[in-house]
Amino acid sequence: MSRKTFAVAVAPLLLLLFLLPSPGLAQESANCLYCHNAMKGTIKVQGGAMVNLNVDAEKFKASVHAMLPCTECHLKFSDDTHASAGSAVPSDILSLSSKISIKYSSDPVAGAACTKCHEEEYQKVLSSVHGKNVIEKKQTDGALCVDCHGSPHYITKAKGGKSPVSRKYQAETCGKCHGNQELVEKYKLEENVMDSFSESFHGRKLLLGHTRAPVCASCHNAHDIRSKSDPLSPVFGKNKLETCGKCHKGANEKFIPAITHKRPGPIPHYGEKLLILLTMGVFAFIVIHVLLEAFADIRDAVFRKKEGK
Amino acid sequence: MNDTAMATAGIPKEIERFNIIFRIQHVLMFSTFLILSFTGWGLKYAHDPEGLSSIWIRIWGGPDTAGLIHRIAGVTMLIDFIWHVIYLIYLFATKQMTIDAKTTVIPLPKDVFDVIKNFMYFFGLSKEKAQFGKYSYAQKFDYWAVFWGMFIIGFSGYALAFPMQVSYIIPSFATGWIWELLGIMHSDEALLAIVFILFWHFYNEHLKPEVFPMSWIWITGKISTEQLKHHHPLEYELLFPEEAKQEKKG
Repeated sequence: MSRKTFAVAVAPLLLLLFLLPSPGLAQESANCLYCHNAMKGTIKVQGGAMVNLNVDAEKFKASVHAMLPCTECHLKFSDDTHASAGSAVPSDILSLSSKISIKYSSDPVAGAACTKCHEEEYQKVLSSVHGKNVIEKKQTDGALCVDCHGSPHYITKAKGGKSPVSRKYQAETCGKCHGNQELVEKYKLEENVMDSFSESFHGRKLLLGHTRAPVCASCHNAHDIRSKSDPLSPVFGKNKLETCGKCHKGANEKFIPAITHKRPGPIPHYGEKLLILLTMGVFAFIVIHVLLEAFADIRDAVFRKKEGK
Repeated sequence: MNDTAMATAGIPKEIERFNIIFRIQHVLMFSTFLILSFTGWGLKYAHDPEGLSSIWIRIWGGPDTAGLIHRIAGVTMLIDFIWHVIYLIYLFATKQMTIDAKTTVIPLPKDVFDVIKNFMYFFGLSKEKAQFGKYSYAQKFDYWAVFWGMFIIGFSGYALAFPMQVSYIIPSFATGWIWELLGIMHSDEALLAIVFILFWHFYNEHLKPEVFPMSWIWITGKISTEQLKHHHPLEYELLFPEEAKQEKKG
């Protein structure tokens, strides 16, 4: 069989390879996971960061990143061994990694690598109040990608499912910091935001599974989140008109105070106290009256002969 | 209202207490009240996505549908209330209804004394129960509770259901606190209304031994003369003065 005949006969068969079910993992990831799936515990790496060695292969396969090879993000590592670290890292990622190294002490390059695919979102985050907190104020507790989305190994689609940024879990995720008293005090964050949300009509509807009830990011934005004192924030002053207007067409200045994270002022507060007092008063009267009347009826039936009238 | 009854010889077996319009208004009122209570309860106690409230709301078709049902029932109830008020105005304007101390539903000092008298009877301090006209204090309380509810819950509910439209008429000085207050008013007074109906109305018109399982007046609109004499003696005296006098002598 000549080489040419061989090629003509076999080459079309190679096309069949594309039809084979995808193995789900890049070959190189399989190599890494072979060990890391079984490894447990944490080790201290250079620089003193603690690194969790375990990568759950099953959960990784279910993630949206399953088809990526490990070195797509862990750029420092070659697909060979850890020892030969030092693969060339593109300069833009390297410079980004140095900005956020305070946050990802174990592998800042991997933390910066998200930008390879998600550049637009990453740029928004960097100029957001969360990003600036890490880059400019050098705070380790500032939020970057993984703080909201969870480990990139197990990331699932934001819509539905168990994603921490899904409608169902988003408030809980934001609450990790915004409901944390220490952080609220440290950064002078608006207090009581989690409780006021879950007590609001928006929050209650969301809890019941309303399909259009807003979550945190609906009003505050997701990646380009800003302080409410930042004129670019969707909840800064008159920007609220547009933000509320996304769902409530024609939102006006008298309408927008309807939803707020502020604690109720004195009028609603004492108004409620008054109504509770009224409720209790009426409740006491009717219950006492009903019980006494019932007892009197029983007494009459048992001890007193019914008179004609 | 009962001129024809009085004109006939002797006493009729029963008289009309509520005409068909009042009865329809009552049916509309209580059916929307029940729907509003059922659908609103889930929202008031929404704490947990997997909790009882969420399951309860799913029975009503989920929060979107339950919200729609709640709004439709609420608007229906408000229309029912407005219809009632307009009908009353019409009755007064055409002199079909007049105010008389013995038949009016308006609270009078006598009602306070009736309460005291009945409490004394409950405690065994008096041998006589209070004697009522057309409406006992319990019934007046029932009636005016609806008015209170309509003004507090009804109109706050309207504002919460159509906040955009209502926002235009809210004075600027009130925008900072009115929404919070409307929510509190709606929710707290709804609870009061439910408790009130459960204890007061249900006991007086359903559970009380003499009416159990319910007073049928809401369907028939009629009360027997015997019951009238027993429960509303003052109205009986007003309607049938001759008979009442004779019975007293006899």
